[in-house]
This record gives sequence, C-alpha cells and structure tokens, in this order.
Amino acid sequence: MISNLAAITGIGSVSPYGPLAGLIPPCLLEPESLTAWTTAGPRRAFLVKPFRPASVVPGLKTRRLDRLSAWALVASSLAIQDAGIDLSQLDRSRVAVVFGTGYGCAELTEAFFQSAAANGWRGTDPSPFPEGLANAPASHVALWHSLRGPNITVGSTGFAGETALIQAASLLRHRQADLAIVLAGDTLTRTVYEWYEAAGRLSPACYNSEPLPEGGGFVPSEGVAALVLEPAGRREARAYAQFSSVRWAAGGGVAGGCAADAIRQMLDGSVPSLTICAGNGAPCAPSSVTALAREVGGPSTAIVPAQAVAAGLIDAGGLLHLILALSSRPRKGPALLLGTSGDGGFAAVLLELP
Amino acid sequence: MNDPRKTIVVTGVGVVSPYGIGLDCLQAGVLSGNCCLAPTKDVYPGFQGTTAQVCGLPHPANGASSRYSRSDRLAMVAARDAVANRDCESVAIRESAGVFMASTVAGLSEIDPGIAEDPAAWYRNDGLARAATYPPAHVADAVGEHLGVHGPRCAVSAACASSAMAIALAANMLLDGAAPMMLAGGSDALCPFTLSGFSSLQALDPDPCRPFDQNRKGLNLGEGAAVLVLETLAGAAERHAEVLAVLRGWAMTNDAFHTTAPQQQGNGLADCMRLAMEMAQVSGDEIGYVNAHGTGTPLNDIAETSAYETAFRGRSRPVPVSSTKSYFGHCLGAAGALEAAITITAIRCGALLPTLRLIDPIESSGVDWLRGEVRRSSLPLAMSVSAGFGGSNTVLIFGNRNNRS
Repeated sequence: MISNLAAITGIGSVSPYGPLAGLIPPCLLEPESLTAWTTAGPRRAFLVKPFRPASVVPGLKTRRLDRLSAWALVASSLAIQDAGIDLSQLDRSRVAVVFGTGYGCAELTEAFFQSAAANGWRGTDPSPFPEGLANAPASHVALWHSLRGPNITVGSTGFAGETALIQAASLLRHRQADLAIVLAGDTLTRTVYEWYEAAGRLSPACYNSEPLPEGGGFVPSEGVAALVLEPAGRREARAYAQFSSVRWAAGGGVAGGCAADAIRQMLDGSVPSLTICAGNGAPCAPSSVTALAREVGGPSTAIVPAQAVAAGLIDAGGLLHLILALSSRPRKGPALLLGTSGDGGFAAVLLELP
Repeated sequence: MNDPRKTIVVTGVGVVSPYGIGLDCLQAGVLSGNCCLAPTKDVYPGFQGTTAQVCGLPHPANGASSRYSRSDRLAMVAARDAVANRDCESVAIRESAGVFMASTVAGLSEIDPGIAEDPAAWYRNDGLARAATYPPAHVADAVGEHLGVHGPRCAVSAACASSAMAIALAANMLLDGAAPMMLAGGSDALCPFTLSGFSSLQALDPDPCRPFDQNRKGLNLGEGAAVLVLETLAGAAERHAEVLAVLRGWAMTNDAFHTTAPQQQGNGLADCMRLAMEMAQVSGDEIGYVNAHGTGTPLNDIAETSAYETAFRGRSRPVPVSSTKSYFGHCLGAAGALEAAITITAIRCGALLPTLRLIDPIESSGVDWLRGEVRRSSLPLAMSVSAGFGGSNTVLIFGNRNNRS
C-alpha cells in the first residue's frame, strides 16, 4: 500500500471536450457520426475534433506524429502549464513520464498492416514501425520536454490509467523521480471500433441519436488525459487532490474474491465523501463498478457514476474520469477513485480533496 | 539497508528459450557456447534471414488455444516453470501474488494484414478472439489466469527495455507492500510483423549477429519468455524459500534524444548504471560482470560502449562485458528478463559468458570484452543492462544469495 506521498498539481487533456488546461467546464456531449471510414450504416462515437497542436501549444511540432503521440504532447504541455511549472528550473533527469494505454499507437499498427496488405511483408513502409510501439507517446513527451527520468508505458485490463497513476506515485515514493507526468489515453481507429462492434459491446446510442441508455454497452471514445504529480508539499502549488493510498488487485479480485472488504481495509475507517467510478466500457448506473462502490461505501455514499465520454476510453479512461469528477466541484475530504476490470479485479486510489 | 523487509530476492526463475523450457536448459546452452541462431526462410514469403525460434511450445491444458497468443503461451509456460517446485502455489500466495509482465509483440503474432483490408470480415472469420490478445495487458492476464493468482496485475511496454523494467517496477511494488510476491518478466514471440519491421529499418544481420564487433551488421530476432519470482527476503525466509539471487539495485532513465537512435555518448544509459549502483550501494569495482544489451546494431553498440566507459570510469580494471544476444538473438520485450536469468545463472555458476563471434571488438580501454572460452570466477555482483526504442534504459544489479548491502 502506498500512502501520503503525492499531490496532483496540474491537469491537461485532449478529449472530445477539446484540448484544455485544468478542469473541464460542464458540458453535455453527444456522440458524433463517424466519417473517417465507411461504415455499414450510421455509427457514432465520442471523437476528438481535429485541431492544430501548435495553436494550443506554440512551437509544438507534431507533423510526423500519429494522433496519440500528438495528443500526449499537447496534454502533457497543458498539464505542466496548469501546474505553473518552469521545467528549465528543474533537474529534468528527475522527471518521470508514465503513460497508461489499452491499445497504444493503434493507428500506426493499422498503417503497417495496410502497407503489408498492399506490398507484402517484404515491402512494408518502415515509418510506422518504430513509431507504432506502445511507448512512442511517452518517449515523445520525454523528447519534447527533455525529461530524462524513468519513462514507463503500462497497460492493465480495465484500469491502465489508474495503474499509471499508481506507478507514478510509487516512483515518487522511492525517490526514483521528483516529479511525474502521468498520462492515459487511446485513439479510436477502425479496427478498434469494429472489434467492439463484432464483440457486441456497443451501446444502441452508437447506431442512432437516442439518449444514452441505462446500460447495455458503451459509446467508444478517444483522447489523452494528463496529470502532474509532485511530492506533497514540495512547493507552494495548488493541489487538486492529495494522493492518499492505494489498493489494487486483478483477475478474480483479492483473497476470497471480496473486493469491497479489501478496499474497506485500505480505507482504515475513513469514509470517502464520494466515490468516482471509472467504468470500463460500462458507463451507466447499474455497472459493476457502481455496485462495488455501493458495497464499499454503503447506501449513503455519494457516487460519481462513470461518465460516458471517459468510459468509452475503456482501459485508459481513469484519468479522464478523475478530471471530470474534480471538475464537478466535489465536496472536500477523502475521495475514492475506483476502477474495475470486469472480472473481479479493481484499482482503488484514495485521494484527499483539499 | 540490511532490512529483510526491504531486500528483494529472487526465489524462482522460469524460462522458455530457444534452448527449451527451464533455466537448466538455458544454463547448459549458454555454458556450452551453443548458438541457437539458424537460417530461417518460412516466417513470411520471401523472408530469408537468421532467427532463433522456440520449438515444441506446449498448448494450454484447457485447450482454449485461440484465447491465447504465442506471446501469452510463452509467458504462461515460463511462469509455470518459475513457480514449479518452489512452494509458490500455496493458497495464500495464489490469492495475493501479483503479476507484472512485459511485451512489445503481445498478440500481434496472431493478426495478419487481412485485418487492414476489412476488419469486420476478418473478425467474423475467426479473428475476434485473436485480436483480443493484442494489448500487452493480455499477456499479464494470461499469466494471472493460468496460475490463478489474484494480486495486482499489469503490463509494461517500453520496447526492448520492457521486461527489465517490469522487474524493476515489480520490485518497487514489493517495497510498497502492494503484494507479498510478484511474478515479473517478459514474453515476445517471433512474428512477421516484427521481422518485417526490423527488416524495413535495415536493422537485421542476415547472418548470425556479432555484437560489439567492428564488423557487426545488425541484430537477429529471437523469441522466448522469462519470469522471475520476486519477494522480500523476510517473505522468503518466512516460507523457507531458497534464495537464488538478491536484486540489489535497479534504475530507469530515458535518453530524451531520439525515438529510435541512442544518444551516441550513452549518457542516459551511463546515468542509469550509476543510479543502479547507487541504489545497490556498490562501486563500479565491485561489478564482476555486465550482461550487455549488445544488439549488434552499429549505433547501439557504440553508444553502449561509451556508456560503460562513463559509468565505470575510475575502475581499477576494465569491466568484463558480453552480449548473450549472440546465442539466441534479440527477444525484444522478453530480452531483459531472459538476460536477467542469464545474469543470475552467471552468478550462481561463477561463469563469465563470452560474446560469440566477437573477433575484432570495438576499441575501448574501459571494457574487457569477454570472448572465446567461458571465464570462471567467483561472481558476487553482476549487472544486466537493457535499452530500447524511445530512449528507455533499465539496469538491474543482482548479487549472490549471500550478498546483501
């Protein structure tokens, strides 16, 4: 268990809400029609509208990058700006980058397969190959900001974003870094969308413009969320939240299969003022993560249900869930960020809201 | 620092390599200088090159082969091997042990170019389950499900430094108290995607590779998996587990220089070695052997040599270095864990392994290039070095079981 060690001092995101520094103003989004590829009928998703990265972060060069790497650069820059950090004043060999993702650079993987389909394996285009590695976005963040600390890309079924946050906090705790840029995100591509569809995981709202239903699938989404994580009290900076402690398990959950007991044990008597549910493709009230939150906190606990836009990010939605919850001006006190893997696994991060 | 709760030890090593299944196979193979690299023609039409493949990989006992990629299966076999006969299968451990696996290929080996032409049709034609193995996290899930362990589970993908990084991060998690035991390592299968990719980058040597040789021409790809059982010394003592090695230090850095090329002076890698030695509280003089990253590519080997000269500057004698990629190629995301297993073997056997085919080494006054015969020497401490695309570096320092700071 990691405890009392870090504060979230900066937020940045590139999401269907747009590229933003800090909290995300309340705004109801509707899924948009897919136009990037031909579909068998109307298909909808939460999409990041095209924008010019250099217009958001002056000087940023992203012409040769895929969208995931470009968004990671924009989101990290916005989070650093929001934290009020001047990187030139820091020892950049002590700044870590931790990125959580489900599919990595799926666009470039698709492009490489397309070149193999067109030219055979002997005639593939070399350019998407190294850039398509899952760690390319994190390495671009390091390269752009000259960050020479640990550079880690993690995946975890159901909660890659929470895992990135936990690993970043662990690096700070062990003094393997003095500051961490934590990111999580994915891009929506044709092969990913059609996999969801073939697997029967899409919400009816993907096919028509009806309101989001109370269950039965999700609306795919895309984007990258970024946080700046610093040791608590290191400098006089506004903290969105203090990182308090962590408990996590996966695949069948903890001993005896009782995740709620394990999380209550972690809470050690403290009662979260709210629980932020990070759904893994289950955005609505009856989801397994909401049920677990009720079991942990009892019937009176305040629950921020999984938000559809973030839930559509599946594994990588945790950080966007957290940002959206913080943006809703929650009450002070302990708050639980709770992600589940859908098969009994969970990641529970206890935060203190100032 | 001698706190058994803060000392990380290795109590199991599981391996699937081109030598076969088990650490004993690997040990016998490398000590005898047996090279597994062989001409390969049939990985995809028109491919001719040199690779090292794992033969006779067993299928999962439950018969659900389509649910698992070849990388999954390599990892599952290695993990089973790691816990076999080590009393790691007690109910208490199964319920709480964590899994931290690395992969760069993961389920790419199960996907073919047809997916790009018509994904929906490809999924209908038996592709749905195969595509589900695509995320690296699937490898960790496969290991967790296979062993029935329920602790924290995640995956890391940091190119060729991945599995060394998985071991380092798993060690952090043990110190955090996130789990009493971690199964950490990496797995990657040989597949057309990576062979074609490295070929398109002109990074492959068509013949068996020659790391650190002036006439090196590139790398060969291999495949395999390795999983270490990590726990605190206190935990190991409590269950009377045999300690195979002590993980004395670890560090991770990034070059922040280029997405594919290493920084030519090797500064990021040298920093990584220095930080790992600081953590282990040892000087450069105490490192008896370095198992290098040593891919055999022109750029990597020069940068790495510079890094050794910087990190071990002031050492009384040149540092002994070899690349065991000359035995069975570069296993990508599994390389760091396989080389950690070899480093542990070197310590346990007191054997400094040579680089095969190293005839005309890169000139360096700071490096003692190991070549020719296995050099026998007591080896209290050894270092395993990994680096990868994206500038990631990871260094692990292992000591023999009596070697604690």
